[in-house]
Amino acid sequence: MIKIEKSNFGTFIQNLSADYSLFAPVGEGQQSAFREVKNAEQINTHIQITQNSPKTVFLPQTEVLFEFSGDDIQSEEKPAKPMFFWGVRSCDAKSLNLLDKVMGQSKQRPDDPAFQDPYWKARFDDAIILTLACNEPASTCFCNWTGGSPFSKDAGDLWAVETETAYLVEPLSEKGEAFVKGLSGYDTASEKDKQSIAKLKKQAESYLQPAVDAETLKEKLPQTWEDPLWDEVSAKCVNCSACAFICPTCYCFDIQDEGKKDKGKRIRTWDCCMFPIFTKEASGHNPRSLARERVRQRVMHKFRYFWEIYGESLCTGCGRCVRVCPVNLDIREVAKQLLEADSAA
Amino acid sequence: MKNTYIPIPMKVDKIVTEDPEKTLRTYDLNFVNKSDLEKFQYLPGQFCEMSLLGMGESPFGIASSPTEEGFLRFTINRTGLVTNEIHNLREGDAVGIRGPLGNWYPVEDFKGENVVIVGGGFAFTTLRSLLVYLLAHRDDYGEITMIYGARNPDLFIYKNELEAWLKRTDMKLHLTIDNAVDGWQHHVGFVPAVTEELAPSAEKAWVVVCGPPIMIKYTLPVIEKLKFPDERIITSLERRMKCGIGKCGRCNIGSQYVCIDGPVFSLAQLKTIPDAL
Repeated sequence: MIKIEKSNFGTFIQNLSADYSLFAPVGEGQQSAFREVKNAEQINTHIQITQNSPKTVFLPQTEVLFEFSGDDIQSEEKPAKPMFFWGVRSCDAKSLNLLDKVMGQSKQRPDDPAFQDPYWKARFDDAIILTLACNEPASTCFCNWTGGSPFSKDAGDLWAVETETAYLVEPLSEKGEAFVKGLSGYDTASEKDKQSIAKLKKQAESYLQPAVDAETLKEKLPQTWEDPLWDEVSAKCVNCSACAFICPTCYCFDIQDEGKKDKGKRIRTWDCCMFPIFTKEASGHNPRSLARERVRQRVMHKFRYFWEIYGESLCTGCGRCVRVCPVNLDIREVAKQLLEADSAA
Repeated sequence: MKNTYIPIPMKVDKIVTEDPEKTLRTYDLNFVNKSDLEKFQYLPGQFCEMSLLGMGESPFGIASSPTEEGFLRFTINRTGLVTNEIHNLREGDAVGIRGPLGNWYPVEDFKGENVVIVGGGFAFTTLRSLLVYLLAHRDDYGEITMIYGARNPDLFIYKNELEAWLKRTDMKLHLTIDNAVDGWQHHVGFVPAVTEELAPSAEKAWVVVCGPPIMIKYTLPVIEKLKFPDERIITSLERRMKCGIGKCGRCNIGSQYVCIDGPVFSLAQLKTIPDAL
């Protein structure tokens, strides 16, 4: 574990930005997001969690898949330089791994590159993610529900803890090992530093509310299929999809063409299962025409369906959906109600 | 590595208008590049995203059979933005496809067994692919029975082929229309009712059902009553599919994606997925 004194942080960041497209938390409150930075002054080192997750860089809200002119098609997948992400919270680092299971890989066709998303892979495969331990989880955080914790080392290439005077960094992956090997002139963390990590960790964990077990929820969900609770929840929900757009693990998208027949672009944009048009077919048939079906779909996908395929839930407890919902729907409350629901099997 | 979102260039070789209203047209597409043709290996039941640059993409079942080499056939109902534009295509025009996508009818499992095919409307496309495939490997399969329904005689697709299949002695084709019309010499009645009346035997047999959601819904109970086991009742689902490669999420049902886990499912599978039908 190496130690980057805060007095050296500026130089460290400067050097990083020479070799990588460096992304870090920028801006305050609702404007905060991961953006490309050139120096340490641009970074918001105090932010607990950014409004937008790093997903927005790997799977942008809108991106050009290719441009066409006549029969000629041109696409650009690879970023000019590999990306380095500084200051990703463990929930967001885990989200990227979950997204990679869908976008970068294919459970159904694991060996066929035609079923891997080339844009995602070009960005994610070479990126280095530095997971920054969460010293002060927010009241909306619930990473402990789905196997996470503020000091989790489960995801990312590097793991760092911010102490009063320094960042203590250790590698988590091969990419991270190689990165640390390439650094020189930094001290190794002392025993005292390690003790301070233990203290910070304990304090951070004390901020979290008691967890609801996601696996118990997964087991219960099928029994709630016809529960009137879905009517109550969907009556309140306005189908605005803010929860999905802000979610670090929501990946649904649409593909649309812009331009004319002889010249234009094929673009990809985020989409969401909360919109009625999402599933509406040209014939008029809509498999999920009712709000209750769509709300149920979103919760089931997060906490049940994804688990059936990958053995974990598609929620990392970042709490962003709790923060942005305009009608104060709190997924944690919905989950608790579902667990308590006296639904017939 | 080839970018999977970039369509394979194709050329419209032949267009057949299937109905007097001109809402159903069949397109035979040729590969522009020989290497793409060689790489394109598919089986009956799979689909493609057909792409018109500047307009978008839509998914269509492949109506040709891999036993018919050199082209791909799609029959397209004019109903939305992309299909309207496809209907404006002329022979020689350029289009793109992405595929083959999805899984296929279990033709390997069908070997040595009887196959009953039940179809309705213009969802008959992949069933045509299946039938042509089975007939091309005729000795590998037992009895072949097909029940095909349309609202009226005009709305059957592949009319010339239907005539030829009616005459064949190595298969049995039953056609039905919703209401009687003058000169109609085949069955009258909805597909579920006609299936019930014909009562194809479940012995050593598989059944493939494909059609509009409402037809599937009412046909499956009839098939179940005929004692076909759920594992041997095969259907193909339709959902709005954009990416076709298990990413974009809109065809998600339960833990399955229709575009990559399907579109072909057995009734046994569908019974484990809530609201699949």
